[in-house]
Amino acid sequence: MAEHKPIVFSGAGEMPELVVSVSTMLWNKTGSWRYLKPAYLDSVPPCNEACPAGNDVEGFIRLIDEGKIAEAWRLLKQENPLPAVTGRVCFHPCEQACNRCHLDKPTAIQALERFAADHAPAEEVKALRPKSGKTVAVIGAGPAGLAAAYHLTRMGHQVEIFDALPKAGGLLRVGIPAYRLPDDVLDKEIAAIESMGVKIHLGAKVGQDVPFAKMLDFDAVFVATGVHANRALDIPGEDAQGVVPGLALLTKVALGQPVEVGMRVAVIGGGNSAVDAARTAMRLGAEVTIYYRRTQVEMPAFEEEVEDAETEGVKMEMLVAPVRILTEEGKVSGIELQKMELGEPDESGRRRPVPVAGSEFIVPCDMVLPAIGEVGDLSFLPEDVKREWGKIKIDDFGLTNHPGVFAGGDIASAQQNVARAIGDGKRGAIAIDRYLHGETVEEVGGRVIIGQRGSVSVAQYLKEKGAHAKNIAAEKVIAFEDLNMWHFDPIEREPMPRLGLEQRRATFAEINLGLNAELAHAAAERCFHCGVCTMCDNCFMFCPDVAVSHRTDGGYGYDIDFDYCKGCGICVKECPRSAMKMEEE
Amino acid sequence: MKKVLMGNHAASYAAMRCKVKVVAAYPITPQTQIVEELSEMCADGRLDAKFLKVESEHSALASIIAASSAGVRTFTATSANGLALMHELLHWAAGARLPIVMVNVNRAMAPGWSIWSDQTDSLSQRDTGWIQIYAEDNQEVFDSVVQAFKLAEQIRLPVMVCYDAFFLSHTYEPVDIPDVDLVDKYLPSYDPEIYLNPSDPRSFNALVMPDLYMEMRYKMQEAMDKSKDVAREVGREYGEVFGRSYDLVEAVDCDDAETVLITTSTTSSPGRVIVKKLREQGRKVGLLKLRYFRPFPNEDICRVLAGKKRAVVIDRNISFGKGGIWADEIRGALTLIEDRPDVYCYITGLGGRDITPQVIEEIIADAESKEKPESLFYWKGLKP
Repeated sequence: MAEHKPIVFSGAGEMPELVVSVSTMLWNKTGSWRYLKPAYLDSVPPCNEACPAGNDVEGFIRLIDEGKIAEAWRLLKQENPLPAVTGRVCFHPCEQACNRCHLDKPTAIQALERFAADHAPAEEVKALRPKSGKTVAVIGAGPAGLAAAYHLTRMGHQVEIFDALPKAGGLLRVGIPAYRLPDDVLDKEIAAIESMGVKIHLGAKVGQDVPFAKMLDFDAVFVATGVHANRALDIPGEDAQGVVPGLALLTKVALGQPVEVGMRVAVIGGGNSAVDAARTAMRLGAEVTIYYRRTQVEMPAFEEEVEDAETEGVKMEMLVAPVRILTEEGKVSGIELQKMELGEPDESGRRRPVPVAGSEFIVPCDMVLPAIGEVGDLSFLPEDVKREWGKIKIDDFGLTNHPGVFAGGDIASAQQNVARAIGDGKRGAIAIDRYLHGETVEEVGGRVIIGQRGSVSVAQYLKEKGAHAKNIAAEKVIAFEDLNMWHFDPIEREPMPRLGLEQRRATFAEINLGLNAELAHAAAERCFHCGVCTMCDNCFMFCPDVAVSHRTDGGYGYDIDFDYCKGCGICVKECPRSAMKMEEE
Repeated sequence: MKKVLMGNHAASYAAMRCKVKVVAAYPITPQTQIVEELSEMCADGRLDAKFLKVESEHSALASIIAASSAGVRTFTATSANGLALMHELLHWAAGARLPIVMVNVNRAMAPGWSIWSDQTDSLSQRDTGWIQIYAEDNQEVFDSVVQAFKLAEQIRLPVMVCYDAFFLSHTYEPVDIPDVDLVDKYLPSYDPEIYLNPSDPRSFNALVMPDLYMEMRYKMQEAMDKSKDVAREVGREYGEVFGRSYDLVEAVDCDDAETVLITTSTTSSPGRVIVKKLREQGRKVGLLKLRYFRPFPNEDICRVLAGKKRAVVIDRNISFGKGGIWADEIRGALTLIEDRPDVYCYITGLGGRDITPQVIEEIIADAESKEKPESLFYWKGLKP
């Protein structure tokens, strides 16, 4: 550091040769020129807003990028008890919302979540609050029930889960085949929740093995029974031998029960259940065709699953619907189908299929798997609990009209997916926790909601340390236009390593093999970290007044010397990820 | 070590030997290889310098001015229209008293679009306050760049080293590249007392009122005056360390000459050939090669030309509305003495047209055929 030396001279002849001020200019506090000033502020990245399970997506990716895998897993577990599951089966709306989509391909968020979960340290998640002495009954050990139980236990309550099936997991167990979600992975996630003190009663169907009244002995009840009953085709021949609902086939395979599959199988439907049932039947040796009444574009099943089905050899015929099932001696011998045309849109916004007169044709088959949707069984619920559209009516946080009874998951929500169910479990847990303390959810208010799409953060609710203190109640969710693309280059998104095609078709082994450490690091590096300061030093380097500096204590973030900051706004403009803004002075 | 190098690479090696710290340049034929080679040297570690890619020559010099102000040795290179684009900053670099060294490969100004040799580009930057050196061959390119740093850092004015497009820039010649230790011995590290320093923040190049501006400019002129002696010293010391010494001018066979051919840049080479040839024929002809354009070596020129009958100047340039630039400057210098020669100016070789030994021989013959110059300049080789 140069010592300050004022320049002294007498007379023009002795002036320095160069035009320079004779002394320091520190006295000129150029900050007085300012009428706008810069500020650092964490905003909500679109991935965080989009995740129905309320993950701190940007945060866990950053930890992986820094090599802190265990911490990434802990951060995920603050919100989502099942990262090994969602890291495999979620439909990843985070990736669709990822701003990187507008540059090249989105960040591989799902693969990274799975990586963190698969490399989790062997440690227990502890409760954060002391034991409250309160008890909660959770009906259903699917993702909504498990998430509610997990968070309620962390909040200090004693939870017991009641599930009808012989194994826990709900549709995770019986609806999603092992080649997408291996049994042992699910077992491990559930065991981690049980080891926290959650008691799971299996083979205990409420309304059959256990009366609903027993639930009301608990201080609160969370209903998360899901939808397992098959929606009927309503066509002649549906009761023949060889007509097996798609979900029923999947359940048998999942529970290790004996299963017989025909040689030529017709699957009716276009959702994930249909595709999963088809791919399962194919692996059991059948020749399979999916028949769907609209076109492939309208299929509700995940695009990746449909593509994989095609690659594996599942045939698909679009714009057909079944008219009747043909039988011989009571057994399925064929199916009569009618061609469809797309007409006006229906209430789902998709174009309604309209039968084409006289276009019926018959296809021989020996097994039919209807998979056109599931409905919930609400017969066990007291009459006074309000229903709507065949589901339990709840408010934004899972309260029913019956005090002390809460609900979530497929049985209560129009959106039927795993991440939504986990989100419902969290909202239910927060609502129940408020209820058990004699308080309301309104008091918690916007503090726990992430962005505008309704996902909640339990970490924010519990005011946990460790999560970045994101301004999650902020209105500002970072859009692509907010970013400075000068600072980002396109980077190839490495594909997920997968099992070879022959192995895929022959076994139920998991198809996606997961990222290794090198691929995970490369994947994490692609994240823009929208709206969150990553200490990239751009503001520090670009400030023309040298007014931005690193913290002297080495802590996170920068200091701005407002004696000299002129408010030029270059730091804000050059922040690649919009983690700064200009405010009026 | 001896290497066979194109002129441009000779310049790159010189910058590398001088351990410049910042290079910022924009490509332009015929300079491009200078900077390409420097970028490779930076990439593979032979040169520990920051290499800035900029979007124009104006930005190149702006970046170099900033870097030099921050107290490090800097280098850039350009040509013709690129040099013209830098024009306001040429004034700036000199007024800011920064020891920047820049190579300018002499190329014709556009339009008509031309990439070939012509001195109008650098000569028309005459008044910007830069020292200008003109090199005859690739060895002199290397040697002049090294001397330029030493000169610039002593008198605190920027230095431009100029040489002909393609005749030198792209032509391969053997060049002796001295060891780095030898160059370190000749050229000390650059350590200015006052520089851009966030720990001691000052204001640079700010407002100067009419009551002091003239004195700042006087100091610049003082430096220019001083630079003649410093340049001689720098050139003499170069001879001591590297075995090749340089002066502001070089006079060949002028002592008893009646006609002195005055050349610059590569024209000096065929000039030497012709002077030798004519001497063998018994004619009293000498050669005066000029290296420095600024500061203009008035005294050296007067000393060599005093008492001579005629001075024949070859100008590969033109100042429209006046004539050949070197010739005009020479005439101005000669007013300092009484016994001065007639000055014949021949404008030729514009836009890269060859100045062959035959052209030079014809020029000399033409000048010698006249009693007096009838005009301030003649065109040589103009097509009818």
